[in-house]
Amino acid sequence: MKKLIDFRSFSLGLWKENPIFYIMLGLCPTLAVSATLKDALGMGIAFVFVLTGSNITVSLVRKLVPSHVRIPVFIVILASFVTLADYSLAAFSPQLHRNLGVYLPLMVVNCILLGRAEAFASKNNVINSTLDGLGMGLGFTLAIVIIAFLRELPGQGTLFGVNVLGKNYTPFLIMIMPPGAFFVIGFLIALKNSMDRRVKKKC
Amino acid sequence: MKKKEITRGIVVISAVALLSGYLLSQVFEVTKPRIDEQKKIEADRLNKEIFPEGVSFAEVDEKDLSYTAVYDADKNPIGRIYQIRPSGYGGAIAVRVGFDNDFKVKGVRILEHNETPGLGAKIKDAPFLDQFKGKSGNELYLKKYNKEGTLDAVTGATISSKAVSDGIRKLQEKLNPVVLPSSSGDEGENEENKEGL
Repeated sequence: MKKLIDFRSFSLGLWKENPIFYIMLGLCPTLAVSATLKDALGMGIAFVFVLTGSNITVSLVRKLVPSHVRIPVFIVILASFVTLADYSLAAFSPQLHRNLGVYLPLMVVNCILLGRAEAFASKNNVINSTLDGLGMGLGFTLAIVIIAFLRELPGQGTLFGVNVLGKNYTPFLIMIMPPGAFFVIGFLIALKNSMDRRVKKKC
Repeated sequence: MKKKEITRGIVVISAVALLSGYLLSQVFEVTKPRIDEQKKIEADRLNKEIFPEGVSFAEVDEKDLSYTAVYDADKNPIGRIYQIRPSGYGGAIAVRVGFDNDFKVKGVRILEHNETPGLGAKIKDAPFLDQFKGKSGNELYLKKYNKEGTLDAVTGATISSKAVSDGIRKLQEKLNPVVLPSSSGDEGENEENKEGL
């Protein structure tokens, strides 16, 4: 019997079933937009908005959509929310909009969005779908911000654009390029796995 | 699949598409003025950076080359700003360059680029771009390619630097072709060429 309000829907997305480190979807924008903390945070916020909005909408219409057309319907809903986010950013935050560049419209094919719509929102009520959207969205944001921190600091010597390692620091440039992103993600996934294994041993 | 199911599917998809299309068009209407305003603010800001003395700017569309005309407080034309897209290391680089009435470079700004971070990307920084100010003709060569050149490339980013400098120089030459020296002075040649435009 599914609960009406299940807070686990929120907490799982944050860490245990983190979309980046556990489910491992949506890696493309994660790798691309995590070179600076400012862009990562912006991407995360846009993502929470789109994921929560689309989860709510999919959940609202879940009983009305026949199974054989659900994928195109989900994609239309997703694309609408992404476009909404695109226009809003272009109008109110043009700098961020420019930095996110092509990765903002690319969210339409982000597997996390379609994945949660299909795996959760189409099978759960609106309240839990909202929680799932928020949890997975914040989990994504947490992941991308951690990665950005580990890339911007050695790669540019700055945090949010503010120089913290001094003028004589020679930046470790590879960290802000694609290989650096892969190194960091691989390392963090390994770290999470080893942490989870240790917790399991205790039980 | 039963006919009833197919029909239901068509109805639902069409309804969803129509509804979302309508809602998005509404959002577009609401945000469009704001988006256009932002674009204008950005364009104005860039124009002011290149031409601080400019008071008003006007877009001019001329056959194959459009530009932004710059005027001072007395509505005198004091220069023009052009936009070019030379090919750099990672693709096209959007460059905005202003010339004064003598076709000397007034200022350069890089709008978009795909150059390597930390290397080619440095072409958008002041140390590289400030070099262009006040120069024209063969001065707009990188030192390593022409002995009359006065520009230093960004270390480790020759291709990016060359793309920008060559692009600006070629534009400048097109606008102000250097006529072989004759008995008339330089001023006369410039006047003639401006009319040719």
